[in-house]
Amino acid sequence: MNAPQSIPENAKWVELNFGPQHPSTHGVLRLRAKLEGEIVRELEPIIGYLHRNAEKICELDYYCDAMIYFDRMDYVGAMNMEVGYLEAAEKLLGIPPPERAQWIRVIMAELNRIASHLVWAGAFGLDIGMLTPFFYCFVEREKILRIFAEACGSRQETNYMSIGGVYQDFNEKIIYMIEEFINQFPKKLEDIFNAFVKNDIFISRNKGIGILEPEVAIDYGVTGPMLRASGVEYDVRKAEPYLVYDKLNFDIPVSYKKDNLARFLVRFEEMRQSIKILKQAIKKIPDGPYFNPKAKKSLMIRLRGEGEVYARTESSKGEFGVYLVGDGGVKPYRVRVRSPTFKNLSVLPVLAKDQMIADMIAISGTIDLVFGEVDR
Amino acid sequence: MVEILEETKGKDGRKILKVAKENLIALLSELKSQGYNHLSLITGVDRKDRLEVVYHLHNMAENKYIVVKTETFDERVPSATSLFSSANWDEREQYDLMGIVFEGHPNLKRMFLPENWVGHPLRKNYDLSKVQYINMDENGEDYATFDPGDGW
Amino acid sequence: MNVLLRLQHFFAPLGHYASYVLAYFFETLFLVIFVMVVLIAMIYLFRKYMARLQLRIGPNRVGKFGLLQLIADSLKLVGKESILPSGRDDLPFRIAPVIVFMGLVMAFALLPYGSFYWIGSLTVTHSEVSLLLLFAAIAIMPIGEVLAGISSKNKYAIIGALRGVAKDISFEVPMMVSVLALVVMASARTQDPLDLSSLVSAQFIPFAIPQVIGLGVFFIAMVARASYSPFDMSESDSELVSGHSTEYTGMRFGMFYMGLFGSIFLGSMMVSILYLGAYNGPYDSYAGFIYLLIKTLILVFISFTIWLTVPRIRIDKFVNMGWKYLLPVSFANLILAGVLTLGLGI
Repeated sequence: MNAPQSIPENAKWVELNFGPQHPSTHGVLRLRAKLEGEIVRELEPIIGYLHRNAEKICELDYYCDAMIYFDRMDYVGAMNMEVGYLEAAEKLLGIPPPERAQWIRVIMAELNRIASHLVWAGAFGLDIGMLTPFFYCFVEREKILRIFAEACGSRQETNYMSIGGVYQDFNEKIIYMIEEFINQFPKKLEDIFNAFVKNDIFISRNKGIGILEPEVAIDYGVTGPMLRASGVEYDVRKAEPYLVYDKLNFDIPVSYKKDNLARFLVRFEEMRQSIKILKQAIKKIPDGPYFNPKAKKSLMIRLRGEGEVYARTESSKGEFGVYLVGDGGVKPYRVRVRSPTFKNLSVLPVLAKDQMIADMIAISGTIDLVFGEVDR
Repeated sequence: MVEILEETKGKDGRKILKVAKENLIALLSELKSQGYNHLSLITGVDRKDRLEVVYHLHNMAENKYIVVKTETFDERVPSATSLFSSANWDEREQYDLMGIVFEGHPNLKRMFLPENWVGHPLRKNYDLSKVQYINMDENGEDYATFDPGDGW
Repeated sequence: MNVLLRLQHFFAPLGHYASYVLAYFFETLFLVIFVMVVLIAMIYLFRKYMARLQLRIGPNRVGKFGLLQLIADSLKLVGKESILPSGRDDLPFRIAPVIVFMGLVMAFALLPYGSFYWIGSLTVTHSEVSLLLLFAAIAIMPIGEVLAGISSKNKYAIIGALRGVAKDISFEVPMMVSVLALVVMASARTQDPLDLSSLVSAQFIPFAIPQVIGLGVFFIAMVARASYSPFDMSESDSELVSGHSTEYTGMRFGMFYMGLFGSIFLGSMMVSILYLGAYNGPYDSYAGFIYLLIKTLILVFISFTIWLTVPRIRIDKFVNMGWKYLLPVSFANLILAGVLTLGLGI
């Protein structure tokens, strides 16, 4: 470090680097904190350690091939990423998916939302020091991953959907596995919920910490469960319904308490609403083709797109948008991703100012950071 | 009233307003006073002879959406940070990857790549065959060089 | 009859002085072996118990039921490269793990263990002030942790050491005051209430019943001393990497780890001796040591369950609790003990 020439005015602040490699944080985040004792005075997040420039790579591939890079952005909620990209690409190329494919996509997206929130809940417990609920969450997630493995062969980076439909149809075994999961999950979810909420130390660690005012949240572009926990009722599935969400009956959880505990409760309630959606969807799937014949395998690399489209969907982290610009060729001209976690992370220096280190860790736990999506 | 050069509709049905870059801040503040308080996305598009900057604005209370486009021939655009705080990180990212300099930004430095990276990757004329290697020096700062050295 | 005399009879053919010297040596050696066996058993039980609580199995490959896992881990730790950071303060850095371990062994040497069939009394130290010596010995361990934190040139370690200091100071005083209440109650019946063996024999009902509040305060203080959840903020994983022991590798880290588990066992044993009647049990027997072990193991499993289910408290709320709640409560307990002893003659 350079030796200061004179005593700087922040001489009593210790600069501590919570470096990119850190045990049990959520990924490669580097936080440069200026501490005064135990209180954080300034915080600067430095990102880019997982930057793969997926936007450039997508310009070099055909429209159907560019989808696999979206799986690897939010790797715990890959199906939502695929839905997001395909909303934009199918509008640009003019190839809508048939009914059955849309219902299948909704089922997979909601299952992945539950899986993503379970990972978040387990990791949040680890941040505060509870070692055991992590394993219970992951046991439930394992059942969802087995459903994905049965449907398309891969557990996490699924690559299940394609332009104009899905890759493989549902068979009897998958529907049975999903129904079995839906029947036993609500009770397990209540067990995990009670393990957190009936613990006085957990409540006192999270109540009143990290208050996010709604005006600040909208100004910084925060969306998703973080915004809904600050009192703003905004969910893309209700504001601009895509796929078949307008035919489904579900509620959006909103809290007006604005603190860590509110964000925690909103995400758990979202899991319960996802189960409600799944129960309706698994009964209402129509029969029919599962892909659009205009986009069958032999024609896929010859699809051309012209114009520009911005499509937004609701991933497990917030509003996920894809802005596609096509110039008439077989490869996209510009792909721009609106990543919700990127905007959610930008509000961390505001939230963590003048808080203690332990609170800063708890607040960054409730943001639900997945670095594949921040850095793309 | 701010002079709008052109008003079109995109393929997804959203209204697109095109404006000259000198009137950009005036148009954005007028839209903000009409209720568009959520700046969702800032995109830079490299159209080979000019750089286009696209702003997506969203009105959460009334659920309306509008797209504002501007273009520049000399890579400088006024910054929207004074109006919307979400422009801060988005503009840093577009400066990093596309090379658009936003005038008036409080802290315009690279977001993902180290400070001394040469070039802006998302440009169409970026040479993909030249490989740069990233390392960390003794002070904990990342730096990029062209020669692989021992570690690679 | 006790261990020393049995050993001396065994070595008697060698002469008077030689037999005593050899008896003392082997007594100390057996004590150290006992401590090591206890630590190994504790860590093995912890790993199996934690695994079962977390819906997994735990070590089950090395040896039958994973019993040899700890020996494999110790061999691995011993074989690791000794890495010493370049900016360290050398002497405190090297001594700190040794201080922690020695404090632990010294504390184990001072406890009264009860009798065990043919061997007689297993107590190693006979002293009239063994209670004071015991608290002096367990006060050595936090010094080792703070030395480790400050002598590594690492900001995480320094913050961990500072939190450790705050924790120790806040909990030392309520613990001492609640033990003082015990001494008050025992001094009505014996001549030297500071001797742990007479403290134990002065109870006609275990001290847990009239001193419930003191038991609670003492147990919380023991959890804080041993630094496991909810009071492990000086080595919180997600915040401070590993707190005071961040820069330690290999067997030096192993000594801190053993210090943690040894403190859990030591704390449980102290609660059993002071409050739960130590080696007395429902059936009058020659094996009081077994009763002590059973009581200690029950408390150890309660401690493990608390460790695995409860999150970590923030440091300022913790210090708050120590000074604003536990200290007045333990003073009230002291007054209660005085009233019970002098007033009601219990």
